Amino acid sequence: VSWQSTRALPALAVVARLALAALWLAAGLLKVVDPAANVRAVRAYEVLPEAVVPLVGYGLPFLEIGLGLLLLAGLAVRWAALASAALLVLFVAGVSSAWARGLTIDCGCFGGGGQVAPEDTRYLQELLRDGVALAAAALLAWRPSTPWSLDRLLHAPSPPSAVQPEPDEVTT
Amino acid sequence: MSNAQRQRAHDKAEQRRARAAAVLAEQRAVERRRRARTVTLAAALGVALLVVVGVAVQASRTGSSTTGATPPSATEAGAFVVGDAAAPVTLSVYSDFLCPACKAFEEASGATVDELVEAGAVRLEYHPISILDRASSDRYSTRSASAAACAAEAGALRPFSEALFAAQPAEGGTGLSDGRMVELGRSAGIDDDGFAQCVEDRRYAGWVARSTDAASRAGVTGTPTVLVDGQQLQSWDPASLRAAVEAAAG
Repeated sequence: VSWQSTRALPALAVVARLALAALWLAAGLLKVVDPAANVRAVRAYEVLPEAVVPLVGYGLPFLEIGLGLLLLAGLAVRWAALASAALLVLFVAGVSSAWARGLTIDCGCFGGGGQVAPEDTRYLQELLRDGVALAAAALLAWRPSTPWSLDRLLHAPSPPSAVQPEPDEVTT
Repeated sequence: MSNAQRQRAHDKAEQRRARAAAVLAEQRAVERRRRARTVTLAAALGVALLVVVGVAVQASRTGSSTTGATPPSATEAGAFVVGDAAAPVTLSVYSDFLCPACKAFEEASGATVDELVEAGAVRLEYHPISILDRASSDRYSTRSASAAACAAEAGALRPFSEALFAAQPAEGGTGLSDGRMVELGRSAGIDDDGFAQCVEDRRYAGWVARSTDAASRAGVTGTPTVLVDGQQLQSWDPASLRAAVEAAAG
């Protein structure tokens, strides 16, 4: 495979996979400890109908943990990367919309959330972080196969069988 | 065997090998795709299961953290009413005892609030809520709000909350101990024997969780939130506060 001929890309893909895994696990684990606060953080965006706010508040940290575990193990990486990218696009949309509407909230990405003083908003940093994560997810969706992954282990080529043609040597 | 015959035999063998290799490669590709699909499906199901179980666990945790007694004098919405219930204007204050801006509000405008209450100009609806539990290692927001409810039952909400703000611990560490809050209550004039027990039992912690949730549903996203007849004040220095109350009184 041509991209593997350059050494940099696999290394970069491993870093992308582990970094994205760390991001998801940190975000999920920090939020999972205080479900009520997370529900309030979701509500503070003033986007979702009240009926689904608790579901998102309770469930989102587990989705993040799930994606983080898959990426850490290197299992179903393409799927996990695509799901990560979709989730990150939603986060970018949510933060941008909060910013555009003049709300002054913390994104609640790693717990916390809710209103902050106008000078304490971090929208740009939050969007930049999401942008970097999105780039990592895109790289993994494009080239999901990385060293030290369960995918590699599961999809390793089987040992050469007897039917496989040997290099032909014409002897006379 | 002539060279030509040998060449033909060799070509045929070559073709057979190539066909076999192609079939094998195809089988392997099919097998690989099938396995990849199975892995993806299993992974997606695993994550979905994690989310479903997680939602159920969190819902039950939240449910059990919101059970518990409501202070007899609190309103349904989670407030203690201070002052004349028939006062023309309602001043609502949502505070977290760990929130530095709430302390600043109390220091700047607490006296004005008390004057407005005493003059009968406003009825104060005071909502002690806990949105900063993660900012202390011992759930100080919830404990202090519960203690404030105990103080309210002993008839000393305002002096006790003033004392709590004066002794406000920094965010990120431990909060005041239950024992320290009991002492503050004593020095704020509470001599009710049940007060210490109430604080130590964290008797109203479930109510605090409920009223914090109610506040969030009502659109309170931060503290302090100060409303005059339901209108949120953007600045709450004494002059703005008085002006807003006068405007609301008409």
